[in-house]
Amino acid sequence: MSESPPVIRTQDLVKEFGPVRALDHLSLSIAPGEVHGYLGPNGAGKSVTMRILLGLLRPDSGSVEVFGRDPWRDAVSLHERLAYVPGDVELWPNLTGGEVIDLFLRLRGPYDKVRRDELVERFGLDPRKKTRTYSKGNRQKVALIAALAADVDLLLLDEPTAGLDPLMEAVFQEVVKELKDQGRSVLLSSHILAQVEALSDRISIIRAGHIVESGTLSELRHMTRTTIEVETDRSAESVAGLSFVHDVHTEAERTVFEVDGDHVGEVMSLLADLGIRSIVAHPPTLEQLLMRHYGDDLSQRGVSSGTGAATSGTRADADASVRATTRTKKVS
Amino acid sequence: MSAPALSSEARRAPSTASEQATFAGTGTLLGFMLRRDRIRTTAWVLGITLAGFYFAHAVSVVAETEEDLVSLASLYADPVGRMMVGPGFGMDAPTYERFYASGYALFIYVLIALFSIFTVVRHSRAEEQAGRAELVRANVVGRHATLTAALILTLTANALAAGLVLVAGVSADYDAAGSTLVAASGLAVGLFFAGATAVTAQLSESSRGASALAGGLLAVAYLVRMGGDAAEVGGSGLSWASPLGWSQQTAPFVLDRWWPLLLLIGSGAVFIAAGYWLSTKRDIDASLLPGRLGRAEAKPSLGTPAGMAFRTLKGGLRGWGIALLLAGLMFGSYAQTILDAADSLPPEISQIFAGEDMMLGYLAYMAVFMAVFIAAAGVSGLGQLRGEETKGRAEYGMSAPVSRLRWLGSHLLVLVVSLLLILCLVGLGMGVGAAATLEQDGGQYFGQLFLAGALQAPAVLAVIGIVTALFGWLPRAATAVGWVIIGFGGVMTAFGGLLDIPDALAELNVFGHLAEYPVQDIEWTPILWLSLICMAGIVLGLIGFHRREINRV
Repeated sequence: MSESPPVIRTQDLVKEFGPVRALDHLSLSIAPGEVHGYLGPNGAGKSVTMRILLGLLRPDSGSVEVFGRDPWRDAVSLHERLAYVPGDVELWPNLTGGEVIDLFLRLRGPYDKVRRDELVERFGLDPRKKTRTYSKGNRQKVALIAALAADVDLLLLDEPTAGLDPLMEAVFQEVVKELKDQGRSVLLSSHILAQVEALSDRISIIRAGHIVESGTLSELRHMTRTTIEVETDRSAESVAGLSFVHDVHTEAERTVFEVDGDHVGEVMSLLADLGIRSIVAHPPTLEQLLMRHYGDDLSQRGVSSGTGAATSGTRADADASVRATTRTKKVS
Repeated sequence: MSAPALSSEARRAPSTASEQATFAGTGTLLGFMLRRDRIRTTAWVLGITLAGFYFAHAVSVVAETEEDLVSLASLYADPVGRMMVGPGFGMDAPTYERFYASGYALFIYVLIALFSIFTVVRHSRAEEQAGRAELVRANVVGRHATLTAALILTLTANALAAGLVLVAGVSADYDAAGSTLVAASGLAVGLFFAGATAVTAQLSESSRGASALAGGLLAVAYLVRMGGDAAEVGGSGLSWASPLGWSQQTAPFVLDRWWPLLLLIGSGAVFIAAGYWLSTKRDIDASLLPGRLGRAEAKPSLGTPAGMAFRTLKGGLRGWGIALLLAGLMFGSYAQTILDAADSLPPEISQIFAGEDMMLGYLAYMAVFMAVFIAAAGVSGLGQLRGEETKGRAEYGMSAPVSRLRWLGSHLLVLVVSLLLILCLVGLGMGVGAAATLEQDGGQYFGQLFLAGALQAPAVLAVIGIVTALFGWLPRAATAVGWVIIGFGGVMTAFGGLLDIPDALAELNVFGHLAEYPVQDIEWTPILWLSLICMAGIVLGLIGFHRREINRV
């Protein structure tokens, strides 16, 4: 895959809205046929990236290419090859769902009506209702069907399943997998980590307009910590002294701790000497990946100094701190 | 609401308990609405007050001497003047206060009516449509609490505004009883339209629909009153068919009748009761006029940018088109009335209208007046485009292979073609109306009137050009500037002759440059200039839109 040119390539993208820096030297690359998970909290710059890729916004500096071309200049020809699902789908209230789907398919030229009807069926959408009567989930379905039924090489999906119920979420994953098998590329931004985990070949994590980590899921796991729950004959407290072991909790014989991804082997041989009765090891979930980045952010900045809230820091806290970071940046 | 949980004792006396329950939370909601609307309501009340003070004090400025007053009053005594402002009580013996009540009070009433309509819709149907009502009703809030709080807010603000209008009258040394009657009439009109809106909010599923129904009632009231008041001094039977007519039949400073207000208050109360009753007949978020199922698949015409633009703009333009066509028909059909009046008027008064033929002068004047409204339809359409952008639909539409130029170009094409069509329809309506009612030579005016309407196109399109240019370069200011142009054009067209406006300022009125055909000959210079402004504006707007970002936050 590495020899073919990337479908999306951005280099050092910077986008500022007045005093707020929305994108801060963002570099992103997506290969053909790749489903790329794009993770980050609200306000991290995911939607701004999408809108730059669509040529609706113009970057202040840096370069952006979609299929090797400039989306601002060549928007129309590029849009023939891509489809977009906005994060917050607003539809024309006096059109029916079916009409919106057809409008978008026709704007791209001839389309496969069988495919369109099949997707309407699979997503369980009533296409005869006016969109003003649709719930958020149903509006989302309309945009999804319009995008997924289009014969395009690239899908830009901005939190596409917000508002969908779990059944529809499963349908969505199924359809995206089918498209992936056909060699389409997908940029999938999401909060729903399980979804990204299930679908993505590679993942980029964006924070405050900057990609903080990028790679395959296993590469990212390598860079992070594995959680180990172990019961041993002799006390396992000795592991607490190791530099690559974190957050050690001990309850009688049971010890729970996190170990850096590249030191798991050493810890295992240490534990073996202590007499393992039972052991459970969790690979890091994406929640942990994200929380680690934002958790670090919190503790570094001393937002919750001394209260220990960094570990229990909620998502909202993390978001607030990201925004705070953005704001401090503009001052400096 | 919590009936199942009530004890048997309470169930035996359900009326008081459940009645209290349906109004539970009214006070809290009222406080909440006041908090949300503290600026909006204050602005409206102050606006109405300002209008009151302005009207009350402007009369003596406009007409400094008795003679000035008499000549001005004769304007409001003739049929066209009566048609515009009211039945013209006391214009045979005019005083400042009578002139104020006859000529201006109606505008205060209309402002109060608009405020009432907007405010009731804003706090009832609009909240339901946005899904916020559900959130509120999930708390300890009774079924009728929202409507009650909305009505209390509206009527309290109306009372405040009416009180200040009374102060305005008294401050101009007008008779206290008459000033009170003007204020009370405003209050009664507010009650009537607040009640009517309480009903329309139950009927329509969308806030736009609810406002349109209530606003339509106001427009019909105005149109019916126009016909009634133009027919006779003091109004005819038709005047009594309009709620705005009732408010004017009080004849402040002349007859000082209070009883016509009972009609307004009575029907307002009936409307409010009906609104409460209807609201119990439906579910939250639902409407009494059912939403229909539409097409499962789009017609072929929808699959293009122009098709998309047409469906976006269709609803609004259709509404404007129908209303303006009816207005054109009506104004045209007053031709005979004007002709009759012209015969009985002294020549120096008929000279106020352009040209010698008073009837044609009137129709030329109406053509300009209608052009202002058609341009308003255009500004409203451009405002919708800005809405498409801020609501994210423009962005979504342009994610398909549709360029910025093509997107804006398609919408402008639909808008301009529709406006030209409306212009022709209005001209047609005036022509048909006049031809049908004139006792002789009706047919020969038809072509002239049609042309008079169509010839306003350059002025209307010039407004579109200016606003489009702004849409491309200063999108935030575009619609606001558009409405200022319309408002200024409307005031200048209606009152320009009465006010002492410096020429430089009058020149800024887009609608003041075209020759008043059919009374004057067609002049090509202004037509060319206005067309040039239109084209330059559209080109500039397209260039700006092509190079600017979409919905930049």
